Amino acid sequence: MLLLLDILTTAAILFVVSVGLLAIFGVLKIVNFAHGAWLTIGAYCAVVAVKLGLNPWAGLPIAFVAGALLGGVAELLIIRPLYRRPLDAILATWGLGIVIGQLIALAFGRDVQLIPNLMSGTVRVLSVDYSVYRLFMLFAALAIGVLFALTIEGTRLGLSARAVIMNETLARSLGIDTDRVRLATFMIGAGLAALAGVLLTPLTSVDPNMGVAWLIGAFMLVMVADTSYLALAAACLVFGGAQVLVSTFVSPVLGGISVAVLAALLLRINPRGFSRA
Amino acid sequence: MTPKLFAASTVSLLLATVAQAADSGPIVIGVPVGLSGANSVVAPSVVQEAQLAVDEINTAGGVLGRKLQLEVADDASGAAGAQKAFDSLIYQKKVDALISMETSAARNAGLPAVSKGRVPFIYTSFYEGHSCNKYLFVDAWVPEQQVPPIVDNFAKEKNAKTYFLIGSDYAFGRGMLGFTRSYIEKTGGKVVGEEYLPMDGADWTPILSKLKDAKPDAIITSTAGGAPNVTLTKQMRAAGINLHYANLAVDEGTAKSMGADATGIYLSASYVTGIDSPENKKFLDAANKKFGADLKTPNDLSVPEYEAVYLYKLAVEKAGSTDPAKVIEAMPTVSFTGPRGAIVMDKQHHAPLTMYLGQVQSDGTVKVAATFKDVDPGEQCPNLK
Repeated sequence: MLLLLDILTTAAILFVVSVGLLAIFGVLKIVNFAHGAWLTIGAYCAVVAVKLGLNPWAGLPIAFVAGALLGGVAELLIIRPLYRRPLDAILATWGLGIVIGQLIALAFGRDVQLIPNLMSGTVRVLSVDYSVYRLFMLFAALAIGVLFALTIEGTRLGLSARAVIMNETLARSLGIDTDRVRLATFMIGAGLAALAGVLLTPLTSVDPNMGVAWLIGAFMLVMVADTSYLALAAACLVFGGAQVLVSTFVSPVLGGISVAVLAALLLRINPRGFSRA
Repeated sequence: MTPKLFAASTVSLLLATVAQAADSGPIVIGVPVGLSGANSVVAPSVVQEAQLAVDEINTAGGVLGRKLQLEVADDASGAAGAQKAFDSLIYQKKVDALISMETSAARNAGLPAVSKGRVPFIYTSFYEGHSCNKYLFVDAWVPEQQVPPIVDNFAKEKNAKTYFLIGSDYAFGRGMLGFTRSYIEKTGGKVVGEEYLPMDGADWTPILSKLKDAKPDAIITSTAGGAPNVTLTKQMRAAGINLHYANLAVDEGTAKSMGADATGIYLSASYVTGIDSPENKKFLDAANKKFGADLKTPNDLSVPEYEAVYLYKLAVEKAGSTDPAKVIEAMPTVSFTGPRGAIVMDKQHHAPLTMYLGQVQSDGTVKVAATFKDVDPGEQCPNLK
């Protein structure tokens, strides 16, 4: 029972962390290597919210807005000029991530920040005491997934985004303002990353480098999922489950690399990964 | 004067002047420390203690009439950074001594440069023990000093028979827990689990689930300082684990930043701010006066740095010069009474230390539960003279 809950909650956490990266990868066709830095920005928004005397939950909307605004600035100043050079854009996001990490260290110091947990305690679930917050993450992941699905399937922006994902040149020739779609998507992806950062605060130490550890895992999951959020959910479940199983039955050190190794193997066998599109 | 005599006297005059200059400039102490990386949270306090000691000594007239000067270099808390830091300090800045606190990975990477460059090196960090080099001296604790107080207390006062050990996967984590396991088994206890995560690993979930299944009486952890301590404790409390918990690698500062989650944690240290001695009061007053609100809480990783600078001063004064061979011969014989009491590095380059068993209170302070005077470091380097 404990194992099952661990697998489900680990998958949920991986989904929440990676969904922002997926959105950006799908539409802009670049990997945002500053994703880890945006997780950190989100967590520090929560720190600031608490310092201002607000409820820690207020960190969620603040982080989303702050992340989205900063994402907009980054897209306009860095990504857009490099539109014709996607490999350079990817490199630029790597550099951006480093810069953001250092700016946060300059502003807040390298110390671990203290922030009250959003939720604490355990609850009895069918004969085991399980962390309330991890169970909450399950619901958070479902909520974010559903909202994401509704946006992409039910809104105009979602329709334009899907068109751009399928074929950007054709979409532009049909009159879709692809520049606006790219900007909006980057902002949403960055906002989601910041949101994920806030949700991570009860699980990890809040310091300027906290996002880096999540970046590789998120990157691998997005590579396997390609552009489909359903495929991302499947990947999180399968690889998250593998991570927990390997950590429990073999060793946690090997468990840490299982996501990367399995992703590499899967892509070698089937380059389209989990996505069936 | 014949031309030959003139030439000879000019040359010897020049040589004498050069030798004079070498002996009257400042004595440079290199401090390679983790300004970035895993140790970046602790490094500022270490640098502050070194500065405090240097300022006090310089105000009192310096060492052999020469001023002390600090050269701080970033070793990025790891082996690659340490190689660069040590090389630059030893070969470029030509330091007279190295005094610092580093991760074991960094220390092990820097030792070859220390031997080749013949630089006395006082290592001020607690560590897993058995690091031996004729230029290396340690004024901080080793497992033989830190672990027995905890295990003895858990076994006698809390009737703990089964233990679960968790650590970071590197020299310190494995070394400390290896020693802990053998001490537990030697004293009649049983280890029901021993798990490690890489130093930058942040997800302890599977390990905590295993811990819950094993149902131990007590937990002993030895993670890298800083972030791993915080993530493990947070996740442990979130999973509802409230067993007797001793942390071999946490300091008062990190414990404070963990907030309510740190309450109840046991730690065993050679320094806590609450030590009731005149030397500690004088030290804390001086530190508060020098740094004011910027003071980083003196802790078990930074106070040995302060004392080590004084120990180096005493060794140089006894040796009469900064010549490495003379200094390392004098080092085990000098004694300095600082905030932690009288420190002499005379047991195979390690020092007997008074250890304090403390428990973190709900307000983040550490209350001393028991004191163990002058705990012997044991056989650390039997092959060193």
